Amino acid sequence: MSAIVYREPYQLPAGILAVAVHGVFFALLYFGFAWQTQPAGAMSVELWQSLPDMVAAPPVQAKVEKAVQAPQPEKTVKPDIALPDKKKPVLSIVEGVEAKPAAASKENQAKPMVQKPGTSGADRQAAREQAEQAAAIGRVIDEYTGKIIGKVRRNIVMPPDVANDARAEFSVTLLPGGAVLSTRLTRSSGNAVYDNAVERAILKSQPLPLPADVTMFNRFRELKLVFRPVE
Amino acid sequence: MEVTQDLSFIHLISNASMLVQLVMGLLLLVSLLSWWYIFLKLFAIRREVRLTGKFEDAFWHNQNLNELYKQVSGTAQHNQGALERIFAAGLVEFVKLKKQHGVDAAAVMDGTRRAMRATYQREMDRLESHLAFLASVGSVSPYVGLFGTVWGIMNAFRGLANVGQATLAHVAPGIAEALVATAMGLFAAIPAVVAYNRYAHDINRLATRFESFTEEFSNVLQRQP
Repeated sequence: MSAIVYREPYQLPAGILAVAVHGVFFALLYFGFAWQTQPAGAMSVELWQSLPDMVAAPPVQAKVEKAVQAPQPEKTVKPDIALPDKKKPVLSIVEGVEAKPAAASKENQAKPMVQKPGTSGADRQAAREQAEQAAAIGRVIDEYTGKIIGKVRRNIVMPPDVANDARAEFSVTLLPGGAVLSTRLTRSSGNAVYDNAVERAILKSQPLPLPADVTMFNRFRELKLVFRPVE
Repeated sequence: MEVTQDLSFIHLISNASMLVQLVMGLLLLVSLLSWWYIFLKLFAIRREVRLTGKFEDAFWHNQNLNELYKQVSGTAQHNQGALERIFAAGLVEFVKLKKQHGVDAAAVMDGTRRAMRATYQREMDRLESHLAFLASVGSVSPYVGLFGTVWGIMNAFRGLANVGQATLAHVAPGIAEALVATAMGLFAAIPAVVAYNRYAHDINRLATRFESFTEEFSNVLQRQP
């Protein structure tokens, strides 16, 4: 028999499948694993003494509106029907003047009731948006404060005999870019060696991690950092 | 406060040291190759099993050897199964020896069997090609991965010596990086081992079928006038 070199069949599909297997595997690794520690976000909580009367609110509003609007149509529409158009201005003025005290008094009575649902609805919306924004900013601040403290902690050369509850507070002034302008000990831990170690670590950790968003820097210009030997 | 160390898969690889990256690259290459062979062999062996079954059916249902031979030699070379080639080689040799006068029956059968044996060996060699590669990937790549890991951990610890106070945060990323190499080694090795065992078994079964066919075909030829 002649020695024939046989080509293996299905070379291309096998190659494509092999690449596909790796593609799937790396996609799994890439999307399945995010070794990212999420900082605990700041959570804003609204405290309510009692639940808002969702059922009761609409009827109150409707009643009040009726009460406010009722005097005007009654007194302006009536002459419209009774008299020709030309005389309407005069009459309506007269009527308006006459009607005013009554309407005003009614309005006055109604006002406290009107204002409550109307204005507080819009206010609440705005307040919620504001709170959300503040929470988002707070999250970023928490995240980066965490990162800064983490970076500093890694550089602390722990002196011996530090009590576990030693708590050193520093006020750190930062420059844009994360350089430290000055550090000030605002509350000593009672252990001068530990205080010094923390201060050295802060200086050694320059540049400190800051958010990429430059507008956030104002929040980091003056930082209060609290260090404890054991978290 | 937790140490916020953002680690993604890409970071782990790109931050690893040169040697560890080399090891990872090598393992990726090996893994790609071994998967290619896995699929290649999977298709080849399935095809072989299918063709063998088909030919066995045809052989036992059609006792006219000449017709069968025409059918076999009519199909293109690359569409022939191993068993068909064995059959063709045996029949050709048998007919050639028969035509020569003065060759006794035992010698004719010996020659035929030798011819079939030779084709059988060649076919087995073709079927078993690349299996050795799968076997060595299965046994060696965990060690290669381990080597990368050991090297990475050595680096991580050496970096630790430069800082005054050792914290877990210093070592952990380095070790995680290093361990990726082991993971890749295992990823390459496990399928290779499974495939090797599976294919070795399949090829053994095929070999048994070929051998028994050779014997039976010899008997059939011996009965020929």
